[in-house]
Amino acid sequence: MRTSGRTRKAAVIAVAGLATCATLITGCSSSDNNGSKGGKSSSSEQITLHIGDFNEFGYNDKTGAKLFSEYEALHPNIKIVEDNVTDGQQYWDSLKLHLQQNSGLDDIQAIEVGYIAEAIQPALASKFLDFKTVKGFSADDWVSYKEKQATTASGQVIGVGTDIGPTAICYRSDFFKQAGLPTDPDQVAALWNGDWSKFVQVGEQFKAKAPSGVAFTDSAGGLFNAVLSSQPTQYSDQDGKLVYDSSPGVKTAWDLSAQAVKEGLTAKLQQFDSNNTWSAAFKTGKFATVACPSWMVGLVQTNSGPANKGKWDIAQPPQAGNWGGSFLAVTKASKHPAEAAALAQWLTGAAQEVKIFQKFGNIPSNKGGLSDPAVQNTTNDYFGAPGKPAPTGKIFATTAQSIQPAPIGPDDGTVKDIITKNGLLDMEQRGTSADKAWSNVKAQVKDKIGE
Amino acid sequence: MTPTCRAARTLSRTPPNPYGKDALVATSVRATSDGSPPSSRPAPSTSRRGDPGAPGGWRTRLYRFDTKASPYAYIAPFFLVFAAFGLFPLIYTGWLSLHNVQLGESGSGSWVGFDNYTNLWDNQFFWKALRNTFTLGVISTVPQLLMALGLAHLLNFKLRGRGFFRVAILAPYATSIAAAALVFVQLFNPDYGMINQLLGHFGVDGIRWDSSKWPAQIAISSIVTWRWTGYNALIYLAAMQAVPADLYEAAALDGASRWRQFISVTIPSIRPTIFFTIIVSTIGATQLFGEPLIYGGGVGPTGGTDHQYQTLSLYMYDKGWQVGQLGQASAVAWVMLLILLLIGAVQLLFVRSNRRKLGG
Amino acid sequence: MAQLTEPVRSSGARHSSAAPRRARRRLRVGGAGKQQNGGPIAYAFLIIATLVSLFPLYWTVVAASHTDTDIVTPPTPLLPGSHLIDNLKIVWDQVDMTTALINSTIVAGTVAFSTVLFATLAGFAFAKLEFRGRNALLTVVVATMTVPPQLTVIPLYQIITKAGWVGHLQSVILPSLVAAFGVFFMRQFLAEALPIELVEAARVDGAHSLRIIWHVVFPIARPAMAVLGMLVFVQSWNDFFWPFIALSQQNPTVQVALAGVGAGNHSIDHAVVVCAALVSTLPLLLVFAVLGRQIVSGITAGAVKS
Repeated sequence: MRTSGRTRKAAVIAVAGLATCATLITGCSSSDNNGSKGGKSSSSEQITLHIGDFNEFGYNDKTGAKLFSEYEALHPNIKIVEDNVTDGQQYWDSLKLHLQQNSGLDDIQAIEVGYIAEAIQPALASKFLDFKTVKGFSADDWVSYKEKQATTASGQVIGVGTDIGPTAICYRSDFFKQAGLPTDPDQVAALWNGDWSKFVQVGEQFKAKAPSGVAFTDSAGGLFNAVLSSQPTQYSDQDGKLVYDSSPGVKTAWDLSAQAVKEGLTAKLQQFDSNNTWSAAFKTGKFATVACPSWMVGLVQTNSGPANKGKWDIAQPPQAGNWGGSFLAVTKASKHPAEAAALAQWLTGAAQEVKIFQKFGNIPSNKGGLSDPAVQNTTNDYFGAPGKPAPTGKIFATTAQSIQPAPIGPDDGTVKDIITKNGLLDMEQRGTSADKAWSNVKAQVKDKIGE
Repeated sequence: MTPTCRAARTLSRTPPNPYGKDALVATSVRATSDGSPPSSRPAPSTSRRGDPGAPGGWRTRLYRFDTKASPYAYIAPFFLVFAAFGLFPLIYTGWLSLHNVQLGESGSGSWVGFDNYTNLWDNQFFWKALRNTFTLGVISTVPQLLMALGLAHLLNFKLRGRGFFRVAILAPYATSIAAAALVFVQLFNPDYGMINQLLGHFGVDGIRWDSSKWPAQIAISSIVTWRWTGYNALIYLAAMQAVPADLYEAAALDGASRWRQFISVTIPSIRPTIFFTIIVSTIGATQLFGEPLIYGGGVGPTGGTDHQYQTLSLYMYDKGWQVGQLGQASAVAWVMLLILLLIGAVQLLFVRSNRRKLGG
Repeated sequence: MAQLTEPVRSSGARHSSAAPRRARRRLRVGGAGKQQNGGPIAYAFLIIATLVSLFPLYWTVVAASHTDTDIVTPPTPLLPGSHLIDNLKIVWDQVDMTTALINSTIVAGTVAFSTVLFATLAGFAFAKLEFRGRNALLTVVVATMTVPPQLTVIPLYQIITKAGWVGHLQSVILPSLVAAFGVFFMRQFLAEALPIELVEAARVDGAHSLRIIWHVVFPIARPAMAVLGMLVFVQSWNDFFWPFIALSQQNPTVQVALAGVGAGNHSIDHAVVVCAALVSTLPLLLVFAVLGRQIVSGITAGAVKS
């Protein structure tokens, strides 16, 4: 956080009667070091760059891939400070207010793909640096759809891509076997190849001979997201206008999910719920499949625990889709935009994204990173049969290549929440009919967005 | 100031009131405050009440200045802080409520008059939130305050380890919301939670604490009650400690039971504090936010998949922060404010019509 | 507290009055007055209330000493585990908890002290002093409590941006220096607890109003001040929404730091979150222990009346 001129004001406050406490305030704030510096920077000047992010980006030195210290070693005049918030929603809520007031901003701010369409709207986009003005930037360095999502209507590119979330299917081979289904990943993928409705049909087969207490998939919301992410039209049209009500993609995803609920194929769980019923159900084996974006693999592993090692496997999805991923944007409020942009580019460079992948399994959005052998040849021995670890690198990299870009809009996230949480989950938990649930969704979208 | 001064002057001549507290108290203070009998200072008190222009007037003027100006000086800090940090947000929110404006947008958007308010009238989600706020408010505050009163009464007894008890009941208020949320969502987990297991022994099975309206509201109100009962109990306790022992002695002499003493001595003596907790709890209930938000978890500010427990605050937060409709959210905020002021006025009227001197 | 700085009384008088007061205090506490002994039923109820109150705190200790998987998978553990040190290490790795604890102590301490002080002054004025506009102003005080806080943070952020306080502790201290809640609380307490005759008598003795406050109001208000101090300290300590917006992880309060704790790879490590919460709760218990002593029945009232 920048603090130029604020130390002086803090001193005025101190004089104004709160002497002790204000002195302590300034004493305790560790962000003064670039406050006293001028706006100009030369290469020899010591610069502190602040990077704001959420959850785990894996850059830092203590829990991450030590990229910050690596960069600091390459650029001795630069010191990097991370401003991390665990919850992505909390992070974004406060970031919006900070952007509006142009204060409290870090040099680099991470933006989740769910919010990027909001960030490229004129009001917020004007607060970010245009990467097209940055030396050495080429949008082609990233997979085709990645930088497109961060490009405004006027052609400004506000962010560089970190990771992506190509989505496969994680499944319990032991349950599949009990239900008389194949267990080999290729054969499993062949069951539903090319069409999500085949996936639901497999669910019906599974249910007929399923082990007791095991549903086919974890949640209608997870199924909906997976189906929709592979559709060419989603919530919005090319102009970012909301068309969810007439979108074929939304209809396909909704109908399949509603069908799965009606036929009892879902475990009626809510992903990432607060009472941890969902994460606990991995361990207790309440469902046989879960849509698996690359970042979900680690969750499946930790939630299921070592006792279930070898029971999970990963297969190609019916259709390729992307779920998740983020960008790094540089704020215009930054006093060192050139240095900040250079850092953002470096962090999203091929070599660095490979290092993050190796540490956390986040799939690189940088093409060079994606095709890197270190990514391609990665296997995960928690998944797959003994002696035949799942080729996670290959599966996700292949999926990533075949993802088709879909237009996005600023209200996508809101509609998605309403559909999955107030529509499908309501059907699962309260037995609401599909028609009623859909009219509830429409009423709520109208209330919130006015369309 | 004059009438009360006169009252004080005549105090020594007035016979003690039935409880004898005033006389006892007044004389004792004179003794402690300067260690000499009151008669040793006749001059200031006569001149004070005599001719203001008489010699020794600087003292009079100082006294006058003290009585006239000091009350304002004492309340000034609050009003200064409010003027600096409370007034502008209040007015600004009102101004926003007349506009169509997005969070993140610079400027104040476009003028829409009272549309944001009239739109609420036909809005099913607003009415639902209003109803939920009312029902959640009632089931969380009424038992809470009654229990707090009882606890405070118990804590006012002479007890072994009362210091521990007094601090322990405030623990819920200090416990982090994150930890409390983890505990409560697990207690109320419909599948393996302790509460459903317990109810199972009584033949009540599978209550959906997460999705059924009333069970969810009861679960949330139990979190509210758990967090705030000790808080109110301590507030009552502080007031009970100021009740003069003589009142109880007199009541005991009259043969009143402990319960009778509680009803006829304790309760009337701490009436202003009870009034305070009712006002504060009403406000707190109307602004109920954290507990349903945490309880909802992933469903977040919609308060259940079908808005079963969405309160007005959650509705406002949902509109303002999640969707960014600042104008509409501000209108909800102002409606909440007006509702509260209305409730406050009704409470005041009720109090007055009962001719209870709750305010002292 | 009163003995330290009573300017009116001569030192000789102080000594002479202190001894009998102590005697009377003993008498009152031991006597049959309002200090009735609690029966077994009182103990039973209080023990239940204590258990219900303390259980989540106890469980905080349990959860903080297990791994995430342990605590989110049934059966839920009920005894402390062995991962406390590991979790603590992660907490300190992820956020600057030391700075956070210092900052929160500064913020909550300043806010609690100033609220108790200003609220007692204002509460006394509203309860016992006559002045023009008293009732109207008191109504305004109460009315300000009704403003919903979730929205006012937006204009408030504008204010602290203009003032240049973003990221600095004064942004969370100054707006909370005195709250309507405290003023109203002290007003209601003093309205009943402080006999007007006591004030008048002191006035007759020529006491300036500040002296009345020091010698009459403060001693009577002591239990209420202690309670208010505890409540405000906790509230300020646990305040999240506004500090989260106004501060950052570079200069956080405890709750802001908690928001940066527990991030795993696309998941949240609840054990680490609860461990951090435990760390953040311990200082509060310390404050309770110190201020809780002030809430001791009989002695306060006895001291004033002796």
